Amino acid sequence: MNPQTMANQSTIQIASAWVLRIGVLVSALVMLIGITFSFFHGGTAVSRMQSDGFDINLPKMFAGIRAGRGKSIIEAGILLLVLTPVMRVATSMVLFAFVQRDWLYAGITFLVLVMTLAGLVWLG
Amino acid sequence: MTPSSSPLLWLLEVAAASLAGGVVGAISGLGGGIVIVPVLTIFLKIPIDQAIGASIVSVIAVSSGAGSVYVKDRITNVRIAMFLELATAAGAIIGAAWIAPHVRPQLLFILFGLILLFSLLPIFAKLGEELPQNVTSDRMAKFLRLGDSYFDKRLSREVVYDVTGIPPAMALMFAAGIISGVLGIGAGVVKVLAHEIAMKVPTKVSTATSNFMIGVTAAAAAGVYLKRGLVLPFLVVPVATAVLIGALLGTKIMERMSNSMIRKIFALALGVIGIEMLMRGFGVF
Repeated sequence: MNPQTMANQSTIQIASAWVLRIGVLVSALVMLIGITFSFFHGGTAVSRMQSDGFDINLPKMFAGIRAGRGKSIIEAGILLLVLTPVMRVATSMVLFAFVQRDWLYAGITFLVLVMTLAGLVWLG
Repeated sequence: MTPSSSPLLWLLEVAAASLAGGVVGAISGLGGGIVIVPVLTIFLKIPIDQAIGASIVSVIAVSSGAGSVYVKDRITNVRIAMFLELATAAGAIIGAAWIAPHVRPQLLFILFGLILLFSLLPIFAKLGEELPQNVTSDRMAKFLRLGDSYFDKRLSREVVYDVTGIPPAMALMFAAGIISGVLGIGAGVVKVLAHEIAMKVPTKVSTATSNFMIGVTAAAAAGVYLKRGLVLPFLVVPVATAVLIGALLGTKIMERMSNSMIRKIFALALGVIGIEMLMRGFGVF
């Protein structure tokens, strides 16, 4: 391996590590803020916490966040968490293609990204 | 043991119960569902579907948290991960879209459980081995430039390794994808098996690379659980934050462990998951 590809590969590793770290820390922080809000608004009976399910309704979620509803803020945090690995794959695809000019791996990463998004959106 | 009725105490109980899941998940490369699901169902009386929903989302936190450390420390083989994710993702889609409607999950749980218990044999055969010996890259591994090296903190030296057995590894990863798609579990255990038995990479690389990949599989599977309303947001907060802390602790432990010790932990987990799957297949829980 020549020094150039060595340097570029570590670019992908450094970028992947940062995307994962920021994604997971920000989503954990958002979830903790959400549950704090719920405590202030008194909506945290254990029976409710054990039964109130995730509601996939983005307009309702954003309205809830503006109104300071804890559950909506937690839902946003969960979505950020689920999108973290997807963002990691997308970042490596861009770096394989435009920094490393490694079209084989850019192609592989692109297919993984498409299939993961397809699974996330269509399955279920 | 009855779960607390005070909200704050309940959250702390769930968090305390989940912490170990992150540690085990990060060390073994299995994500931690193996610990999280039984703990939530048995001790906190959460129904199994909701426990798996919380576990799938939390496994993403383990994968990302531990992954950020393993990738930075160059233990993860990013090329192997990307290449094998191709087979897993394809298997997951085919499994969920075309196979799931036609098979009885019970049968698949039993089959999967038996496969896991049988795969203990090749793991036992190399239980004490520290690093794989006499591995030469096969043609596909050379074409894909999969061989690499990592710095082993326990051995205090750079370990250079070759990779072999790409076709059987791809078949295993495709099967792992189908199992995830049909049963809605991460099947991280098959990923570690593909790295360990088929490709013969060092155990730490195998663990770190499997850990890196399960985040993507879990993200795709999470969509199904989110849409069916099986993810309980208030349950996810304590589970996900606790496993994240556990995973970060786990990486520190794993990097200083010997490869053979990690393989022993994995073998134990393999046996437990095999039995768990058989029990689910036979309707015990």
